Amino acid sequence: MELKIVIDKNRAEEVLVFAHERSELVKSIESLVERCEKNFVAYGDGCVRKISADEVYCFVSCGGKVYALTENEKLLLKERLYQIEEKLGNNFVKINQSCIGNINSIKSFDVSVSGTLKVIFKNGYTDYVSRRQIKNVKERFGI
Amino acid sequence: MIMKKYFKEFLLRGMMFSGLGPIVLAVIYLVLSQTVQDFSLSGGEAFTGILSTYLLAFVHAGASVFNQIEHWSVPKSLLCHFTVLYAAYALCYVSNSWIPFVPGVLVVFTAIFVAVYFAVWITVYLCVRRTSRRLNGKLS
Repeated sequence: MELKIVIDKNRAEEVLVFAHERSELVKSIESLVERCEKNFVAYGDGCVRKISADEVYCFVSCGGKVYALTENEKLLLKERLYQIEEKLGNNFVKINQSCIGNINSIKSFDVSVSGTLKVIFKNGYTDYVSRRQIKNVKERFGI
Repeated sequence: MIMKKYFKEFLLRGMMFSGLGPIVLAVIYLVLSQTVQDFSLSGGEAFTGILSTYLLAFVHAGASVFNQIEHWSVPKSLLCHFTVLYAAYALCYVSNSWIPFVPGVLVVFTAIFVAVYFAVWITVYLCVRRTSRRLNGKLS
């Protein structure tokens, strides 16, 4: 198989694969690209590091800033929530205008006294599903 | 600090939806003018109506924040929400002379308010609880 890499700062970055079938190599390339796409530069505790979307329990917007909440950390991101939403895959769902949750990190759902649907994440963070997003959340869970 | 956040949220929600009050009032006045013979309003009545329904919608929208104060118990949230709404509605009705300020009438008004409040609350609560259970079923 021929490998061609073109370094051109004027073109949008892309990975193009010509293959006869969806082989293991193609799948590996696909998963590698997907993983790179879903990485975020996060700031926390005086250091900067890359985090993968899979590590994140939910992305929240608070006071004009966007944070990624992981199991134990609250990391600041420079991207806006709508930009993050565009990058995320099917395992994330919009909870409300300021929260996007990882479906695999949801511990449970509960009902609040106001009759709104409450979502509880495995790291203890809780938020409310907005009325506008209830249909979307239900659809994502196949209801 | 936390309560300041909820107070801000109260004001924000109130401001977002307060305009709905006078719109609903305008629709009611329109219907009344079409259906009731010789229906008329003085300037003072119109002013009181607009102002009071504006404040009513403001309080109604803002009061929803009580139910989201995590460290409050369910009875406390419900009681605060109910009390604030009841006070706002009662003042609005009395100030517009939609009900007379007579003990007997106020008792009937209160009874109807309590019944409607809890009927709505229970209906919404049960519907969302059903959704919550179905979603939890999909999680496990």
